[in-house]
Amino acid sequence: MDSSKQNPEIQELEQLVDIQEFLNRSFVFAGLPGGAAKLFAYLAKEESYSKGQVILEEGNRCDRCFLIVAGEVDIYQHYDGRRFHLQLLDAEGLNYFGELALLSEFNWFFSARAWTDVILLSISREAFGKVMERYPDSYQSMVKKIIDLRIRRFVDQSQYLMANIAPGAWREEPPSE
Amino acid sequence: MAKKAVGTVRITERSLFYWILRRHRPSQIFLLLVILVSLFFKVFPLEMQKRIINEAIYLKEIELLYLYCGLYIGAVFIAGLLKYITNVLQVYIGQKILVEMRQELYHHVLQLPLQFYRKMQPGTVISAMTAELNAIGFFLGGAIAIPVTSVLTFIVFIGFMINLNPLLAMLSMSIYPFELVVIPYLQKKYNELNKKRVRTTRKMANVVNESISGIHEIHGNASYVLEEKKLLTFVMKLYKLMRRLFLFKYGIKFANNFFQSLGPFILFLVGGYMAIHGHFTLGALVAFLSAYEKVYDPWKELIEYYQSYQDAQIRYAQIMKIFDLDPPHLLLPPPERESYSLDGNIILRNVSYTVGDGVRLLENINLEIKKNQQIALVGYSGSGKSTLALLIAQLYDASQGNISIDDHDIDTLCKHDIGKNVAMIAQQPFIFSGTILENLLYSCQAISDGQAEIDKEQIRKVIRDVGLENDVLRFGLQAVLSPDECAPFRDKFLRMRQIIHTTLRDEFAQAIEFYDVDSYLYYSTVRDNIVFGDSMTGEYAIAKLPENKAFMQLLAEEKLENPLLAMGLAIASQSVSLLADFQDDEFFFRDNPMEMEEFSVYSELLERSKGHQPENSDDRKRLLVLALRYIPRKHSIVSLPAALEKKIVAARYSFLRHVVHVDIEQCKNVTFSSSVVPIFSEVGDFIPFCPSEYLYTRTLRENILFGAMKAERMLIEHLRELASKAFASEQLLDEVLDIGLDFEVGSKGDRLSGGQKQKLAIARSFLKDAPILVMDEATASLDNSSQAKIQEILETDYRGKKTVVAVIHRLDLTAAYDRIFVLKAGRIIEQGTYYELMERKGDFYGLVKAES
Repeated sequence: MDSSKQNPEIQELEQLVDIQEFLNRSFVFAGLPGGAAKLFAYLAKEESYSKGQVILEEGNRCDRCFLIVAGEVDIYQHYDGRRFHLQLLDAEGLNYFGELALLSEFNWFFSARAWTDVILLSISREAFGKVMERYPDSYQSMVKKIIDLRIRRFVDQSQYLMANIAPGAWREEPPSE
Repeated sequence: MAKKAVGTVRITERSLFYWILRRHRPSQIFLLLVILVSLFFKVFPLEMQKRIINEAIYLKEIELLYLYCGLYIGAVFIAGLLKYITNVLQVYIGQKILVEMRQELYHHVLQLPLQFYRKMQPGTVISAMTAELNAIGFFLGGAIAIPVTSVLTFIVFIGFMINLNPLLAMLSMSIYPFELVVIPYLQKKYNELNKKRVRTTRKMANVVNESISGIHEIHGNASYVLEEKKLLTFVMKLYKLMRRLFLFKYGIKFANNFFQSLGPFILFLVGGYMAIHGHFTLGALVAFLSAYEKVYDPWKELIEYYQSYQDAQIRYAQIMKIFDLDPPHLLLPPPERESYSLDGNIILRNVSYTVGDGVRLLENINLEIKKNQQIALVGYSGSGKSTLALLIAQLYDASQGNISIDDHDIDTLCKHDIGKNVAMIAQQPFIFSGTILENLLYSCQAISDGQAEIDKEQIRKVIRDVGLENDVLRFGLQAVLSPDECAPFRDKFLRMRQIIHTTLRDEFAQAIEFYDVDSYLYYSTVRDNIVFGDSMTGEYAIAKLPENKAFMQLLAEEKLENPLLAMGLAIASQSVSLLADFQDDEFFFRDNPMEMEEFSVYSELLERSKGHQPENSDDRKRLLVLALRYIPRKHSIVSLPAALEKKIVAARYSFLRHVVHVDIEQCKNVTFSSSVVPIFSEVGDFIPFCPSEYLYTRTLRENILFGAMKAERMLIEHLRELASKAFASEQLLDEVLDIGLDFEVGSKGDRLSGGQKQKLAIARSFLKDAPILVMDEATASLDNSSQAKIQEILETDYRGKKTVVAVIHRLDLTAAYDRIFVLKAGRIIEQGTYYELMERKGDFYGLVKAES
């Protein structure tokens, strides 16, 4: 029963369409069957953070992944008592973080904070599992995309670290005898 | 009572008539007198019947007719009134005896040893104490009155009949001997089946009881069919029994009715013959027939009495059979002494403990614990360490050997001695329904007969010591306080609100959307956005608003009704189309204004209206309810058009001004920095979201935060700490703690987590402050830091002050104990300090190594 086609008043109220379109443009959720995409749009939660506010903290239990709708997010890690910047994400480029939380439960191994005022969409692992139960055929391709995304992030972060690594940390050849 | 007075009979050995003949004698004698008087008024109308026909009608004396008829109706009325009094008295006496029977039996049952409860299914005990005793209660009241009344009435009526005509009287009585053979035979069969019925019902109650207790396992294993089958076995057995039972029950009834009809047959035949031949007057025949009819009533009552006596007797015997055990210990000390105040020297000599089938759980245990010593009992699982702890706490009784506390044989100590001197913490403690405070005071109240007065500060200290403070604070913050409960602290709570909204505003604004009369509240419902307050009577609850004329008129005037109905329709149609395949999964309805149970209602509504605005007023109300529940930032199913936002804020002003007559402008002048004086709550029923007002329909937390929570996870630890510090600096922690102590823990403490229950049980024992503390893996279900906290109290506060016997699973905790006893297969195989045992490299060393 889709009454929205007949009723202009209702069309005005539909925000699911906007979210669904946003998800369709995203790497992981693009190409899903219409029903699944709509369910994800329904289950996604909008979260707003003001500049400097912590979004997630290293060591806490992970439960959801995030998509950046607007603004910039700083990904960082604490090491040796200092805060190391790893990535600055925005709505245009690699606009995800925490995607592994969809697949497994672990403690966050990084932290994220709002670099500017940000609007995020979050999708919980529970919601992901519930939709995948209904659309099991899409599960494999979703997992593949999450792994691809993880590799892209790994490459991105490694390159960033290599570009900023201390001069003494790289080696050309094994030391001679 | 365990303490048997000379000449009293143990409750389970008393006969049913023991209760009837010894209780409420004056009432019973009065009842008999009423019955005797009523007999006269039962016979008198018969005599009047005879005289009306033979004298008044026969002699055509109208005066006599009036007199006899008047006397007749007067006697009938008095007889009816006396019957009413008899019935009321019977029930009164029966219920009074039942109260005593139930109290005394419960007293006995509670004192039965733990071994009894190990074997006994709770369903059996519950069924015996409730339904089965109730059934006996109905019998008790009439146990003497019914047979006495019936026999006397029977004799009087027979006397009357013999007086009228001895031959007819003898003939009509001739059928009774037959009944005396047939009915007891049928009754015997009925009794046998009835016994089986009682047993089967108990078994069925046990199955249901077990299912409810183990409902988690049933859900977890989806073992619904399995459990249903278990019950079905008993249901079918009961069905078959009941079928046969009723065959006999109605067989008895049939026999009764048949014999009853035989009498008039003889009377008409013989009496009619005699009347025709002039040997008998017509008046006498009518009186005779009436008397015969009446004589059958007491007879029938006697038979029914016999049946209910048999039934009650069986039930009573079955109940008493279950509990036919002597409580192992006296409840109170003998009259010549007070309860002991013990020091805590414990000695066990050659103690063994054997269970029913001869299995020895403990064998030849010898140990000595000096006053204020702390000892640990450790060992392999099944080694008997818990049993040993339970023996010391007198919860079990040794099969052989001797246990003494301060030179008193433990068998000579009464329950009150133990209750006063030993605090026991079980591995899985039981929490009673009631408040946290009631549970905390449970042990103290038990030994002081409910008279204990514990200082509030002492209670708060114990709560802090066991690490329950934050939980109790949270419960306190969740409390909805009435104006009276709130009154002493109201100003302090509003001061907290002020701190959150001024000093800590920036931090809390991340998690809370503060109430602001000029802004749309995206984390609140449309209802809260319009009504912007609460009525103490619940008049403006969402479900009631579509019925509220003033509110609906306001929506119409503000041109909001149609947009809200459109929103309701959008929510309904989007949800029904999206969630048709998930209508049984609560998860998909968590962030939807529609509740899972309402899915079919809205689905049918949409079918009726074919997707358009419905005309039907009930349907329109339903859609309006959805719109009023809508929270923009929580419910993504629809979006909120900006134009609607503005209209809603405008409607808020109208509602406050014209519907509830609140001048919200006054609120704007209240700043959080000015002193808080209530403007509205003292005046009327409606309290707006105004900084000066305490919202009595909301929780304390909602009142302090004074806004809608963006998401629970946003109220992070950091903010909680900030709030706690502010509470402490305002000296408000104690008040909130006290409010939290009144939190209702639910049946068996189900509203508490496992850890909270355990901490509550530990706090309960600490508060009792007994010289001996027995802990049976009391901290096993706590996290490491909570365990360490409790251990620290034992090492500091309890060191040198209390004797501690602790069964311990985590061996790293044993280092602090004065002595460790290692058990294996019911015997003590090693003992010493932690370091002695580790150096010896024996079993304890092996256990420690295995653990690490």
